[in-house]
Amino acid sequence: MKLVIDESRCKGCNLCVLVCPYTIFQEGTKPNRRGIVVPVLDRPERCTNCRLQALYGRTLCGVCQMICPDQAIHWKEEEPYEAHRVEVEY
Amino acid sequence: MSRIEFMQGNTASAEGALAAGCRFFGCYPITPSTEIAEHMARKLPKAGGTFIPMEDEIGSIASVIGAAWTGARAMTATSGPGFSLMMENLGYAVMTETPLVVVNIQRGGPSTGQPTRAAQGDMMQCRFGSHGDMATIAITPNSVQEMFDLTAKAFNLADRYRVPTFVMSDEIIGHMRERIVIPDSVETVSRPPLAEGELPFAAGDDGIPGFAPFGTGRHVHVTGLTHDERGYPDTTDAEAHDALVRRLYRKVESARREMADYEVTNPDAESVFVTYGPPSRTVQQLLHDRQDEGVGHLRLRVVWPFPEFALQEFADAKVFLMPELNMGQMAREVERHVDQPVIPIPKLGGELHTPAELASVLEAHR
Amino acid sequence: MTSARDWLRTDRLPHIYCTGCGNGTVINCTLAAISGMGWERDETVFVSGIGCSSRAPGYIQTDSLHTTHGRALAFATGVKLAKPDLNVVVFTGDGDLAAIGGNHFIHACRRNVDMTVVCMNNQIYGMTGGQGSPTTPMGAQSTTTPYGSAEAAFDLAELAVAAGANYVARWTAYHVKELTKAIATGLQTPGLSFIEVMTQCPTNYGRRNKQRRVSDMIEHMRTHALLIEKKRRLESEGTPIPEGMFTVGELVRRARPAMGVRR
Repeated sequence: MKLVIDESRCKGCNLCVLVCPYTIFQEGTKPNRRGIVVPVLDRPERCTNCRLQALYGRTLCGVCQMICPDQAIHWKEEEPYEAHRVEVEY
Repeated sequence: MSRIEFMQGNTASAEGALAAGCRFFGCYPITPSTEIAEHMARKLPKAGGTFIPMEDEIGSIASVIGAAWTGARAMTATSGPGFSLMMENLGYAVMTETPLVVVNIQRGGPSTGQPTRAAQGDMMQCRFGSHGDMATIAITPNSVQEMFDLTAKAFNLADRYRVPTFVMSDEIIGHMRERIVIPDSVETVSRPPLAEGELPFAAGDDGIPGFAPFGTGRHVHVTGLTHDERGYPDTTDAEAHDALVRRLYRKVESARREMADYEVTNPDAESVFVTYGPPSRTVQQLLHDRQDEGVGHLRLRVVWPFPEFALQEFADAKVFLMPELNMGQMAREVERHVDQPVIPIPKLGGELHTPAELASVLEAHR
Repeated sequence: MTSARDWLRTDRLPHIYCTGCGNGTVINCTLAAISGMGWERDETVFVSGIGCSSRAPGYIQTDSLHTTHGRALAFATGVKLAKPDLNVVVFTGDGDLAAIGGNHFIHACRRNVDMTVVCMNNQIYGMTGGQGSPTTPMGAQSTTTPYGSAEAAFDLAELAVAAGANYVARWTAYHVKELTKAIATGLQTPGLSFIEVMTQCPTNYGRRNKQRRVSDMIEHMRTHALLIEKKRRLESEGTPIPEGMFTVGELVRRARPAMGVRR
């Protein structure tokens, strides 16, 4: 699974930056075409849900999606599946 | 088999509603309309309907609108002060094209006024009472029989045109007891259904969109905001607002000929009484006593939309006389449409005009 | 089984809410709870009044009734009692519910009509530009309380408990998991379920009350939310509860007689 921010919906409130336990979301720096500074993703393959949703058959964590007031965060199926090297930080 | 009964006007109105298939009543008691609610409270649950006492008239009309959107025929009954409280939500019902019936048993106003006395002081309020431009339907019974017949008819008009429809009765008719013939069944007209693939607020030439009740999978968004044909808010586009308000206005106004319901007596007369509601009974008595073909009578059963063409039936009219239980509200409307003088005959305080009173005004203007 | 995203009217997104507004979060949590119930879109109706919160049903792909200011519960009562087969969910705000709609609120709780009421309490009239509402805390700034609000604020959840609702809970737009669970419990409980959600309004509340950034408001909610169990414990110990705290959690769950329960 792949974590995606829908730029057509995001209003740049950075709530995802605040809540992600893996600090995958980082405050963006450049405004997009709509003048909104959309957060950027830092090594999104670290996201538990990206890695394990298919295995567990349910959404894990998912707090960023739940709190996103603009319904801009979701996960997309990856085709074809790409293996990720995941560095677990302690 | 139809049956004959001796019944009060308010009870007859409730019976008319039940016969028309009314299955929801939002209640808040107010004199002199309460007998309608009391009768519905007894009868509606047995008919498989819902009777709910609400916390105020704002709530009662709101619950009626909610129930109407589930597809039920829904109504409430009230009088002046309660009618005033309902105004905002009645505007909402106009904007959202919600079919419903309100029976207003009018009493003396302004304010709390005369709770147990009759008046016709809400005739302009039912047409212009809520803010913004709107068109509604108002019908005016003058007997217990008509309380039954016209309440049933009000549901048909409301459903046919998708507009709040008012039975503008008063304390005299509401509390009067008369002989009434209750038919086995009444004619019912159903709401125009929303065609497959059609948008919920898109209307054809008649200006009336199809109705899709809640729970039928059409996912209708109903809002009092200015909305487009999908029902989505569109509050800043001048054209969208213009088109919507004009349509809401025209769908009622342009149908006034097919809705028209009036009685003409002595069309060749030169002096013509124009009445609605109980003052028509006094004029009928006067005509009966005098047997004078020089005195005409136009009695309106549908007052709004106003059937101005009915006035043309009196080609030789020299004067229109308008006995009303108010300061002359509908006289102004008649004045707008005729060149002849219009003489208001106001009567306040709760009593009807006597035939003698009307006769003296008649003689003074012949 | 639907997912929360299936319930959105995607052709209307993005919605009108300001950047960082908590109302969108409350929509997510409500839809997640509803889709978790296995409810069908065709048999669910959303009702709302007027205000920011009340725009929510317009973004949900079901039958929905966006009504007049304060009257949502009266409309919803009509819908539910006329057709008990429909699931009714009401979105409302603090001004809508507690000020102009206060009478309908207490009577809906008393009647215990089977529906779920989600109140987005941002402690301000947001849509009209930030005027003081009945839930604006004492001393807080708004455009109509320029010297600080002089009135005591309403505790809506306690009011619902006193008025007789069968399920009452309060959470915040920060506590998304707990909020979703609370709404789900509310949906399952026959009778009126009232879930008050403290939401951030950075534009009209935070800006005037030293919480200019969204993160300031979230931080305030996080640090001032006091779990009801903890509050009860502190009270029983006689420990004073710090100023400005509000309780979160499940205030009541009971089985008073309810109206309009699906037959």
